[in-house]
Amino acid sequence: MSTRTSYLDRIADGFGLDTDNEWPSVVRERLVAYGLLGVYVFVVWFPIYYILITSIQPTSEVLSLPINFIPQQPTIGNYVDIFANRPFELYTFNSLVVASTTTLICVTLGTVTGYTFSRHDFLGNKALLLSIVGARMIPPIALIVPFFSIMSSPPIIGGLTGSLYDTKIALILTYTFFNLPFAVWIMKNYFDGVPESLDEQAQVDGCSQWEGFVKIILPVAKPGIAATAILAFIFSWNEFVFALVLTSSEQAQTLPIAVSLFVADDFVDWAHLAAGGMIAALPGILFGLFFQRYIVSGLTQGAVKE
Amino acid sequence: MSQSNQSLRRTLDRLFVPLTVGPTILWIAGIIVYPTLQLFWSSLFWTNPITGAKEFVGIENFVDLLFGDAGGWLGVLNPTFVNFTWNTIVYVGFSVTISFLLGLGIALLLNKDLAGRGWLRTAVIVPWILPYVMSGLMWRWMFQAQYGAINGVLVQSGLIDSKIAFLSDGTLAMMALIVADVWVFTPFIIIILLAGLQNVPEQLYDAAEVDGASRWSRFRNVTYPFLKPSILVALTIRIIFDIRALDLVWVMTQGGPGKATEVWASWLYRTAMVFQRSGEGAALGVVLLAVTFAIVAVLYKVFGETPYST
Repeated sequence: MSTRTSYLDRIADGFGLDTDNEWPSVVRERLVAYGLLGVYVFVVWFPIYYILITSIQPTSEVLSLPINFIPQQPTIGNYVDIFANRPFELYTFNSLVVASTTTLICVTLGTVTGYTFSRHDFLGNKALLLSIVGARMIPPIALIVPFFSIMSSPPIIGGLTGSLYDTKIALILTYTFFNLPFAVWIMKNYFDGVPESLDEQAQVDGCSQWEGFVKIILPVAKPGIAATAILAFIFSWNEFVFALVLTSSEQAQTLPIAVSLFVADDFVDWAHLAAGGMIAALPGILFGLFFQRYIVSGLTQGAVKE
Repeated sequence: MSQSNQSLRRTLDRLFVPLTVGPTILWIAGIIVYPTLQLFWSSLFWTNPITGAKEFVGIENFVDLLFGDAGGWLGVLNPTFVNFTWNTIVYVGFSVTISFLLGLGIALLLNKDLAGRGWLRTAVIVPWILPYVMSGLMWRWMFQAQYGAINGVLVQSGLIDSKIAFLSDGTLAMMALIVADVWVFTPFIIIILLAGLQNVPEQLYDAAEVDGASRWSRFRNVTYPFLKPSILVALTIRIIFDIRALDLVWVMTQGGPGKATEVWASWLYRTAMVFQRSGEGAALGVVLLAVTFAIVAVLYKVFGETPYST
């Protein structure tokens, strides 16, 4: 029996409970765990709540004191305004096109290449895989100078006119830079966990390598593909630095840039910024709420697995 | 017909490896290797910010970067370099340490057999998935001097008498950046460490319990050895990400007030894009690249592990 008394024992005393019998240590530990997690969850969600209520208040109310932490006259005016006064439908469209095309390219190439790295020994496979993994560590921001100059100069391949600067293509190409090595790596790790007997079974059944891959392996790999796709989409949707460097008009600017444009030199339009921010944050919040499992598995495949 | 089909099938099968790996390798070479080579090449030129004319200067950009305006640290290093490197070390050091300890604590709590664990996990992951720009602006709004929520809570609850202009004071602005950074990236630590905790065999805890091992001793001798690879990965990715990430700093403080929160990433962006000095910006990029790889090497050395991943 312990002679130490914790604050929980004291609380228990306050309720007149006999702590030795009625507060088993498991219950006590759980209460502490819930308490601490509760505080953390509150801290995590409070800023999101604050930007949400900012987005549904008129500017006059946002800039009034004392601060109301519960909106007095909720309105969707800010959301209507940003679509009416700024090309938010174009920013959203650009974000969708750039993120989904990047995802499609990375998932397609990442899946087939990851599979081959997992199953085949070929000349230089280790060195190639190591280079791909190493490419993941190159700091993207270190490459803003070459990317800016490459995208600003006329294309090497003939037939195209003008440079790629301020186009969605420039962003798509750039975003594959950090997402493709990541996709190859996640999918390689995922296929490592798929039993090789499946491949053998396909061969016994007379499938060619391609048929076996498409008919037998791909269906099994769906969760891995989903994880890769979700992460590639989120990374591309959220990207800011290259979009800042490589775009200058609404024909290519994405939502993160659109949101940052609300910050003028001496003045920030907080109510409208909050509305734009909520639109940019929406996929993240939805993915987080509904596909948390895939995000976790993708990240751990991409980071922890050998 | 069927015979030519057969031979086509066999040819395609023989080409399976090159056809599945080739396009990716070419793509990566075009989008990563070529720009990286160009980075090294650009770093050897001085760019006239007004005319854009380039002049080959060899390693002069690097010499200037490290030793220019001598008189800094030990009278040798460039004071600007020392100053911004110090800011980066403070920013990354505090952010990574705090988010690591916090993340470890939350991961250990979430690893317990609690009802509603799935929902809690979802609830703590969200900050990491939001666009960093939006999180940065959100925290700028939270720290805003007049109408920000933090001043609101502090004043309206009577904790302080007059509002604090967090982002106008160098030290406070750095603290605000660190708070935002910890808020955004702690979920990443939690995810990686939670995955690592699942590798710890349950029986070992039971055995330790029977031996009467203290809570700390159980962590030190049972949990830690299994968690070490995950800790390594979490720290590596966190550190290299924080050094190179521009988003939060750029939208919250732009390196200000003055140069109080100017870190490597914002310095690089300012040099290359705002001041159009692409040669010097490229030199900074090369240094950043070298530092990143050095940090990874050191971390693996310290933890005594073979590269587990990354």
